[in-house]
Amino acid sequence: MPTLTIDGKTYEFEPGDKVLQFCLDHGVEVPHFCYHPALSVPANCRQCLVKAGTPMMDRETREPVLDDDGNPKINYFPKLMPSCALDATEGMVVHTQQDSEEVAEAQADNLEIMLVNHPLDCPICDQAGQCPLQIQAYKYGPEGSRFEFEKVHKPKRIQLGPNVVLDAERCINCTRCTRFTAEVTETHQLTIINRGDKNHPMTAPGETFDDAYSMCTTDICPVGALTEDYFRFKARVWEMSKTPSVSDFGGKGINVDLWVRNNEVLRITPRENLEVNEYWMPDAARLVYSTYNENRASGPMVAGRPTDWDAAFDAAADALRQSGAVLVFGSAFGTVEDNYLLGKLAAAVGAETPRYIARHDEGSGDGWLISDDPAPNTQGVERLGFSAVDAAMIGAQVEAADTVVVFQDDPVAAGVLDAAALEGKTVILFPTHTTNETLPLADVVLPVAMSVETIGTFVNEDGRAQMLRPAKMIRTANRSLMMSMGVGQGRPDRVGTPFDRWHDESKKVDCQPGWASIPAIAERLGRPMHYKTPRAVMAEAAEGHAALAGATHEAMGLLGVALETEAEPA
Amino acid sequence: MADTLLTGESKAGDWRSYERVILPPVKDLHQIDVYEQNGGYSALKAVVRDGKFDPKGLTDEVKASGLRGRGGAGFSTGLKWSFMPPVDPEKPRYLACNGDESEPGTFKDRQIFEYNPHLMIEGIALACYAMTIKTCYLYIRGEYWEYVDHVQKAVNDAYAKGYLGKNILGTDFSTDLVVQAGAGAYICGEETSLLNSVEGKRAYPRIKPPFPAQKGLWSMPTTINNVETLADVPLIVNRGASWFAGIGSEKHPGPVLYGISGHVNRPGVYEYPTGMKITDLLEVAGGARGGKKIKAVIPGGSSTPPLRWETAVDCTMDAETLREAGSSMGTAGLAFLDETVDMVSWTRRIAHFYHHESCGQCTPCRDGTGWMEKLLARIDSGEGYTRDLDLLLDLCDQMEGRTVCALADAAAWPVRWGIKRFRDEFEAKCKATSFQGADLATAGDGASGTPALVDGDKTLTPGGTP
Ligand SMILES: Cc1cc2nc3c(=O)[nH]c(=O)nc-3n(C[C@H](O)[C@H](O)[C@H](O)COP(=O)(O)O)c2cc1C
Ligand code: SF4
Ligand code: SF4
Ligand code: SF4
Ligand code: FES
Repeated sequence: MPTLTIDGKTYEFEPGDKVLQFCLDHGVEVPHFCYHPALSVPANCRQCLVKAGTPMMDRETREPVLDDDGNPKINYFPKLMPSCALDATEGMVVHTQQDSEEVAEAQADNLEIMLVNHPLDCPICDQAGQCPLQIQAYKYGPEGSRFEFEKVHKPKRIQLGPNVVLDAERCINCTRCTRFTAEVTETHQLTIINRGDKNHPMTAPGETFDDAYSMCTTDICPVGALTEDYFRFKARVWEMSKTPSVSDFGGKGINVDLWVRNNEVLRITPRENLEVNEYWMPDAARLVYSTYNENRASGPMVAGRPTDWDAAFDAAADALRQSGAVLVFGSAFGTVEDNYLLGKLAAAVGAETPRYIARHDEGSGDGWLISDDPAPNTQGVERLGFSAVDAAMIGAQVEAADTVVVFQDDPVAAGVLDAAALEGKTVILFPTHTTNETLPLADVVLPVAMSVETIGTFVNEDGRAQMLRPAKMIRTANRSLMMSMGVGQGRPDRVGTPFDRWHDESKKVDCQPGWASIPAIAERLGRPMHYKTPRAVMAEAAEGHAALAGATHEAMGLLGVALETEAEPA
Repeated sequence: MADTLLTGESKAGDWRSYERVILPPVKDLHQIDVYEQNGGYSALKAVVRDGKFDPKGLTDEVKASGLRGRGGAGFSTGLKWSFMPPVDPEKPRYLACNGDESEPGTFKDRQIFEYNPHLMIEGIALACYAMTIKTCYLYIRGEYWEYVDHVQKAVNDAYAKGYLGKNILGTDFSTDLVVQAGAGAYICGEETSLLNSVEGKRAYPRIKPPFPAQKGLWSMPTTINNVETLADVPLIVNRGASWFAGIGSEKHPGPVLYGISGHVNRPGVYEYPTGMKITDLLEVAGGARGGKKIKAVIPGGSSTPPLRWETAVDCTMDAETLREAGSSMGTAGLAFLDETVDMVSWTRRIAHFYHHESCGQCTPCRDGTGWMEKLLARIDSGEGYTRDLDLLLDLCDQMEGRTVCALADAAAWPVRWGIKRFRDEFEAKCKATSFQGADLATAGDGASGTPALVDGDKTLTPGGTP
């Protein structure tokens, strides 16, 4: 393999590698703004300049010319080179700012000029704290500015579209946003207008930036120029904790970071996973953030009255014990772990394998990250051997049952059941929201944790098993959740950010993950389920189902694992 | 050869009896039949129909003529043509003729559009033949809208007579010429920016590599040449490479259109050999207005560094001599500035132009040009400090050679060399820098030995505004 030398250290590279990406991949930091691995390379910010050269070749022998010490003589390019656009070549020698005073100075010069017309709104800028300009100016910038004039002023609040707001003064004209609409979504909705120090991105006159992925531009914007309308001025980034997890928005299994303050999800951003969503996510998948905070079903109920968890579990167990036939609904919104335990519970009470309400709607998605399936774990339940509810048969099946268990779903809203069908049946419901239309018909209500509050597995529509991590706390202290959040057995207020108020009970939902509530019922039925953690549940499920082979939490890690076997048609 | 080219000796030979070939004194030459009556399209016929040269032969002939681009960079035209990759029947190839002419002080291509458009059209057809190109875009500065119509008419006539289009002159060589009006910015004349503009995109220059010969219009092999450059090609074919090479300066030969402006009695476009003495060109243009003394010359458009008259009197107009003198031939658009000119105001005006025309793509140019203009405006209004001069020189360092295209260099040169060569005038307009080293930059050729703590009773902080 060919080699190149960066700051005196030699590396092997693949032909075609660009120097900047190569540096970043090998832990050599080079400041940059306009370069993004998923976009074309315009080399316009000029921040990533390095000094580079190639070995001097003897014209006749085609061998490198050596100096007195026997080292190849290097022909340096006459100018500093933008490393983002520089092809690595055999024997190339690169000096970054770590190694070269000249490069460090050039980078500082560039930052000085970049800040000349920059408003330095940091105290009120949503990007502050995670701003590449702020960070790089701090690390590589000059000590002061020699600019003594009024800055160029530009519009401070342009509503580009329903979800994205532009502060044109903060824009450094890196064109990442315009390249995104030109190259990734190909909607071409943004372009740079005006010239020189007056230019900024804009839509065509009369057009709206309503690209279904418009907020991706706020992720890649290296400054606080583009912000999400829903999140503007809501929180400083350092006030929030950021948890890597998986979105429950649809069947794609989009990898996300969940930003939480005081037990509320305030923001969702995509997390890089080249196998799934690369760097992107649709706007719709972010705007569900409020569903984790609002209208949550909180606190168990029996016969329409709030009660405590023990009483509710007792009531559920009693109903199941006394019932003749039991019909169990699993859920494509629930985790594999929860559904697996639900299947065991069904078997324990002599019920059939749970059914689930399929949501797949051919053509409703966009063929990219908005799936035709609004449920995140259809593959997971299929792989457990659950079959979809058959509209033609479900009436008779309900008819025949005395007790109906509905886990994390809403058959009434889904049009699968109605009040008449459930007349005289005992309904045990595990709802997430008070808006659940089956809720008024439920006898025992056991609120269930959502994807942002639990540990578990979703299998996306492409057969990739990915792990959820809890980002916000629920009211019941649970050792597994605590451990997973890094709290251990210590005090919860020691984790998160110094600004979090973990003790604020009002923001904690009184719900339980299925892997806590289902065993509690099983225990009461004399069929205890001995699992220390959801990890053990998943390990057993993966062991017992060929279609889930290999889907252990260890294997999933942060990026998930592709499952080899197809789901067996149940 | 003398050690220095700055001899003041003309390389233009017997220029007083020079007979114009690009803009010959023929009435209505823009009309195709008049052009034909005067030998027009004979070069095309000789090459395309009669086989005087095959494509490579024509390229070699142009190389041998020593023709260097007239668009500003002065690169060998034949060499540029030879950079086109071998013909791949799967891949279209393009020629772009650059008629965006927007550099202040440059107004020569418009003369060709107006008086001899067929010479350029014939040159385009020949260049297409030499490089096996089937489509040329002729990009005419948008503000020249009258010439767009005028040239389009000439193009239509050339099509009608079979000099353009399918099966030119009955041969199997075909090429199309598309006239396109420019998008209205100086930057559209930068060659890669022009390509984006032709593609219908925002005229942002592209990074090189890849060079246009590899990836130009729509990512296909493309050559870009200036209008005047291409207009020279039929002349080379008709009269031979050695005729061309024998005109004017040895290393930068040929006839050239000098655009003369400024404080002269008869500003205008004058065709003469390269290598003319600047003093002879002053004479050609009728001498200095009002008998004043000339103090500076901008030899080749506003981006070329100004020369003090003491230097300019020894200069001839060719790339080598002007480089040695510390400037460049550029577009051969000379501006003569007389003693009434305030070099600070002049430099400020030039800086304003580049600030206004920066496309804004890259940081040093986008925000550096504006900063420069602000500093110069402050000095010009008598509010500047001597340390501002050092800051300006520092800014030139921060901009030159660090951008996507050469506009940032074009903006920095007049400032750098204006200050270097006319520092006395700049300093005269500056307030004394409050104390030595007030500038954050180390005072190389800078801080002008001013006493500490002057400037009234204001409190002074290093590097800050009092
Ligand atoms: C900012 C900028 C503006 C330019 N404008 C023009 C122009 O208006 N006309 C032109 O012929 N060349 C212009 N050029 C030079 C072109 O990039 C290019 O070198 C030239 O068209 C090549 O033609 P030539 O080889 O025949 O000279 C400009 C260059 C720069 C950097
Ligand atoms: S974009 Fe960054 S540097 Fe600019 S105001 Fe915001 S935080 Fe500060
Ligand atoms: S808005 Fe942001 S992403 Fe777009 S060009 Fe400006 S700095 Fe770059
Ligand atoms: S140097 Fe100036 S004109 Fe050229 S690309 Fe950069 S910003 Fe645009
Ligand atoms: S990252 Fe290389 S120039 Fe912007």
